[in-house]
Amino acid sequence: MNLKEMVSSPGYWLRGDGPEAMIVFSSRIRLARNLKEFVFPPWAQSSLLKSVAEKLLKAVKKAVYFKNAYYIEIGKLSPLERDFLLERHLISQEFNKGGEERFLVVEKKEILSLMINEEDHLRLQTIFSGLQLRETWDLINKVDDALEENIDYAFSSQWGYLTACPTNTGTGLRASCMLHLPALVISGKINELLKEISKLGLVARGLYGEGTEAQGDFFQISNQVTLGLTEPQIVDNVERIVREVVNQERRMREILLKRNRVQMEDEVGRAYGILTHAHLMNTRTAMNLLSRLRLGVDLNLLPKIETALLNELLFLVAPAHIQIREGKTLAPLFRDELRAKILREKLNESSKR
Amino acid sequence: MLCQICGKREATFHFKEVINDKIRELHLCEECARKKGFLSESFFIPSFSLSSLIGGFTGEAEIPFSIASQVQCPHCGLTYEQIREKGKIGCSFCYQTFKDYLVPLLERIHGHTRHLGKAPRGLKMSEKEKEIHKLRKELEDAVKQEEYEKAAVLRDKIRKLEKEKSE
Ligand SMILES: [Zn+2]
Ligand SMILES: [Zn+2]
Repeated sequence: MNLKEMVSSPGYWLRGDGPEAMIVFSSRIRLARNLKEFVFPPWAQSSLLKSVAEKLLKAVKKAVYFKNAYYIEIGKLSPLERDFLLERHLISQEFNKGGEERFLVVEKKEILSLMINEEDHLRLQTIFSGLQLRETWDLINKVDDALEENIDYAFSSQWGYLTACPTNTGTGLRASCMLHLPALVISGKINELLKEISKLGLVARGLYGEGTEAQGDFFQISNQVTLGLTEPQIVDNVERIVREVVNQERRMREILLKRNRVQMEDEVGRAYGILTHAHLMNTRTAMNLLSRLRLGVDLNLLPKIETALLNELLFLVAPAHIQIREGKTLAPLFRDELRAKILREKLNESSKR
Repeated sequence: MLCQICGKREATFHFKEVINDKIRELHLCEECARKKGFLSESFFIPSFSLSSLIGGFTGEAEIPFSIASQVQCPHCGLTYEQIREKGKIGCSFCYQTFKDYLVPLLERIHGHTRHLGKAPRGLKMSEKEKEIHKLRKELEDAVKQEEYEKAAVLRDKIRKLEKEKSE
């Protein structure tokens, strides 16, 4: 397959048509599964991994869900190509290291994908736009059922699905939402909120920079516990809490707008100005400005920009995406130039519509 | 503050993860953060997790080396000591072999030790196992509803079936 094709056709979940899509970027669920008779990948020899891959690929090809899928052998990719798939949320950091007998299977809409011989023999993933974890679960559950008809999973009635890491044992299910929470970050409420969330048995993650250059308004909220609850219980729990966080973010946006309207207008206006006029831009700056842009559009402080474009831009500015688009590796300065160019062109095009 | 990996350079990146009210922090210099793959935007590495980096076995009580090193899993041949060191279980048979160590670990991680979720439809669960699975779910509900008398009856039923199963 041609990765370059993927650059110009973003995954369906980036269309931004799900509920609350301006704040909840994506709903994602993954299931960890293993074959009964085989040693788990972290301990397995290459010859064994090979038979695991053969078995699983055979089963996957039989499933109707993967009729229109790309089959990608990770060991044959360049580091740049792997970075590209990582940026696209299709492979994990573990897969990004490369390795033999590892495969990524992804159907063309990029809603459904799976990794073979990651930490577990099989990692199945679905991603939907917006906040719709229940729908995400319904789909992945069906796909899991379909695959299971041809696979003998490692399962015990006491401990459920058996996984290489005890943090996944049981349902093997991790449900997560990626959220855009700029107002909670600006107001400084975020730390308190993340702590509250953790008390409810969920994990909240973000990346914090030092000092004023606080970076990243994007956060991931996911379940910690995989054992002792049913899948719908886990999924509903995450969905309920994410909904509450969304409400808090909305309230905070209103408050900021009421109290600091001019500052907000200035902030998002500057972001828009730089994005549409800069000629050099590094990834981090681009991410921060795109976060402000997203906020400004949501609050009607800026001209209307399609959610799909706001989503797509976050990926197009990523380093590996820029290089795959150009078909070669590029030095950082060239990337910064191209990044600025892509942003100018895409945003100017949008403003003419 | 110095970087927690190299211990030489100043730590300029601070990663935070909050789990069960415990905050885990990692302080790294730029070079080590980059080497560990932490420097990409968190947005692009949604699977990023300190616990996956550290492994699920942290905070576990020390197990007397002599005991842990003697028993080998009949299927994969690993000892519990090896598993613990790597933080990864060897195979599905390890769960039974090392259940005395793994069950307390599962309890600490999840707060539960019994699966209540789906089971493979094609699973050749014996009738007794299916019945036990069903009863366990009912038990969980009963406890939640604080119907303790009902729970006690269910618990006895489960015990009886489990005993029959192992005979
Ligand atoms: Zn360092
Ligand atoms: Zn084993």
